[in-house]
Amino acid sequence: MHIVVVGGGEIGYELTRELSVDHIVTVVDSNAEVGRRFESLDVAFIAGSGTSPDVLARAGVHGNDLLIACTGLDEVNMVACALATRLGSRRAICFVSREDFHGDGSNAQAVRSHFGIERIIWPEAQLADEMVRIIRSPGAIDAEEFAEGRIRLLEYRLDAGSPLTSAPLAALRLPRSALVVAVKRDNAIQIPRGDTRLTVNDKVFVMGTPEAMAAIAPMVHAHAASRTSQSVTIIGGGDVGFRLAQRLDDSDMEVRVIERDLRRGEILAASLRRALVIHGDGTDLELLESEGIGHSDVLVSVIDNDERNLFASLLGRQLGARRIITRVGRSANLRLFDRVGIDVALSARGAAVKSLVHDIRGGHAHLLAVLDEGQATIVELTVPAGFTPQALMDLKVPPRAIVGAIVRGQEALVPRGSDQVRPQDRLLVFVAADSVHRVRDFFGPT
Amino acid sequence: MRISVVLHTAGIFLRYFALTFALPVVVSLLYHEWRDAQAFAVSGVLAGAVGQLMMRARSAAAEDLTRVEGLAIVSGTWLLLAVAAALPFLASGLGVIDALFESMSGLTTTGATVIRDFSQHGHGIFFWRALTQWFGGMGVIALFVAILPRFGIAGRQLFFAEAPGPTDQPLTPRIRKTARALWLVYAGLTSAEIAALLATGMPVFDSVCHALATLAAGGFSPHPLSIGGYANPAAEWVITFFMFAAGANFALHYRTLRGETRAFLRDEEFRAYLAIVLVATVLLTACLLPSAPRTVEAVRTAAFQVLSILTTTGFASVDFQLWNDQAKMVLLTLMFIGGCAGSASGGPKVVRQVLIARYTLLELRRTLHPRGVLPVKLGGRVVPDEVMRAVLVFFLFYLLVFAVCTLVVSAFGADMMTAITASIACLGNIGPGFNAVGPMASFADLHPVSRITLTLAMWIGRLEVVTVLALVRPEVWRLVRRG
Repeated sequence: MHIVVVGGGEIGYELTRELSVDHIVTVVDSNAEVGRRFESLDVAFIAGSGTSPDVLARAGVHGNDLLIACTGLDEVNMVACALATRLGSRRAICFVSREDFHGDGSNAQAVRSHFGIERIIWPEAQLADEMVRIIRSPGAIDAEEFAEGRIRLLEYRLDAGSPLTSAPLAALRLPRSALVVAVKRDNAIQIPRGDTRLTVNDKVFVMGTPEAMAAIAPMVHAHAASRTSQSVTIIGGGDVGFRLAQRLDDSDMEVRVIERDLRRGEILAASLRRALVIHGDGTDLELLESEGIGHSDVLVSVIDNDERNLFASLLGRQLGARRIITRVGRSANLRLFDRVGIDVALSARGAAVKSLVHDIRGGHAHLLAVLDEGQATIVELTVPAGFTPQALMDLKVPPRAIVGAIVRGQEALVPRGSDQVRPQDRLLVFVAADSVHRVRDFFGPT
Repeated sequence: MRISVVLHTAGIFLRYFALTFALPVVVSLLYHEWRDAQAFAVSGVLAGAVGQLMMRARSAAAEDLTRVEGLAIVSGTWLLLAVAAALPFLASGLGVIDALFESMSGLTTTGATVIRDFSQHGHGIFFWRALTQWFGGMGVIALFVAILPRFGIAGRQLFFAEAPGPTDQPLTPRIRKTARALWLVYAGLTSAEIAALLATGMPVFDSVCHALATLAAGGFSPHPLSIGGYANPAAEWVITFFMFAAGANFALHYRTLRGETRAFLRDEEFRAYLAIVLVATVLLTACLLPSAPRTVEAVRTAAFQVLSILTTTGFASVDFQLWNDQAKMVLLTLMFIGGCAGSASGGPKVVRQVLIARYTLLELRRTLHPRGVLPVKLGGRVVPDEVMRAVLVFFLFYLLVFAVCTLVVSAFGADMMTAITASIACLGNIGPGFNAVGPMASFADLHPVSRITLTLAMWIGRLEVVTVLALVRPEVWRLVRRG
């Protein structure tokens, strides 16, 4: 496949690195300096504007397969996509950083079709949405939803006294519609069996229906906070912080946003209904103390700077905030944040890049979620039409993978070995990273 | 400031206003009141001639107006029209001060009266009282801007200087179209009320006069006992409903008629207005229940009086001067609120009170969060600082004028309750107060100086205080001298 990437920033680089293994990639960026970074990769680099038809023609968009526009400017990305489709590119994917062009509204769709954009990706929004899911699941360190919310996946870290560590899995009497799909112990993912016994500091992945997941929460933490109303402090009112505050504004949560820039603070305060906006520096200890940040149930630090984020998060931890969620800019820092005691560290670009790369590879499988820095993924497999129905236990699922749920029409169920797998079923499969290629081609290559 | 421009423009308004004198001439002729017809005709001709003369100050209308000129034109026109409208009252036997009081009370839709003996005056005079209110309710200048083609850009400025309440978005990009739309809604609602009142069995003449005075939130009634004199419960409900409509923003009526079905409920000021009406009605009903023969009657009387005072109409279905102090206190509180912005009502307006309340509550929150970013919001949008400041300044000036007025009225011999309620009733364009100026009494018993002061208060109150007070600034008069 021939792919043109417009924009050589953080996202462009990550994408190119992943895609250049299997595909021919040409990178376009107006800044020639950026090209140095791509010298180590086997790609072509063209210095020039992504909105210039000549430059795009030189990059070979005539009859190429895909153009990905991921510069920092939404308008540039859209124009690049429009030009590319007009010049003969088969598909175009556009990254945006604002709400204007996103969404499913008819206006947004009209914009998409007008500019010939197949798909719009808004990494900051994806990150904010993920944070909302985690905040709404007390105690969890990761949370995902599938099949329009009919199936949930939560990741927990087990602490001392967790009822789950009391007996082997088979003897735990978990709810019928919930399944422990994986355990991460000593940084390695494994699929548990009935005789697996969970221990303190294990990270467990549980999949199930919302009702079953609600029933399982108190089994994870002996002292699980049953309060539904939480207080959330968001440090940094940028794209992510703003969207996060907007999403939480309508719930019964008490939301506070600390923003350093007064102008930006005024914009936030203008569009948020209930949330309190505070003008100040999130790393100012005095401010954090006087605003009683230590009493927050959740502290979310989403400043656009890893060092300051880490500092604000650690201050929050010292003051006594119960759960710390932090945004990480550079993927390389993820491990570090985890080690110093941040409960949840998330990277916006990482997840967006991974899901896009997976989709480009194609197959029957559709990547739904990337878990734990890419060590595991949730993949959706559609059972082909000609498939003869058979019991799940007779299906030879590849090693280090497990079917967590079956979605059949409007119904979603957490299967047992005796449940039937039928044509057109959608299987939600939890897969360790090293096994993904086997699962992808499980029902044969496309 | 160019005096010639002010004279010329005010002259145009006066000349067209003179045409409206034709209507009471017709009414007087219908009732064979020849002397009154003559008086109206002469007054009209006189006003028209003076207007024509004033227009001579300049050969053509000014293309543009400075801000000061706009304020001077609006303030001056209202004063001038009040003088013109007072002529028929003079002819009908009132003294100069009383005639001016009555006509200012009409144009500003106050509804306070100095007429003691209603039987001395003909139909034409009562129709004229209602008609001046009707023209004043939506704004005389808005009317002329709507129908006269000659005010382009200047019309926009005049329209906003006269409009009641902190103005929001015009309904249409063109100010003439906006003014015309509002006047159409106004006229439509008036016709609807005339029809409804006729259906309740009220005589034709009284129905017309009451409808004109209701939609204008005026309150003049041809009956000396006001609405109470008809003993017609159905009419009371009809008027209650139309007072409620008159106290709401006419822009919302317009948008609802255009098919925006949820316009009313989506408007924060209207919701607050509705809440005030409901709470006040419940409170007043509770005050009246012990002495009311039947619950239905207590509710009807309470709703009528709450709306009459809140919308600054000033009708009375009973003599509320006879009520206990608790009930009177409810009404006195309502006098300081007023109807919605963009309605025909006077007073400080619901939206200003909502903004002031929010501002105060936010200051409380700010003491807890000194670094909080806490903008005042209305309808989900941030209220700019300058608007908020204007609202606060308005209310402070309003209270100041109220205090000065009360001092004057009480200094010239009125008791405290009379002085307070007469002042707020005139400044807020409400009409009746308590004690010596109660709903069945007359302002004629007050000292002449008090009556002059209250006449000015009505004028200042109708033009929202700042329009008039700004003209008192010395720099305006320096501008005048320079020409």
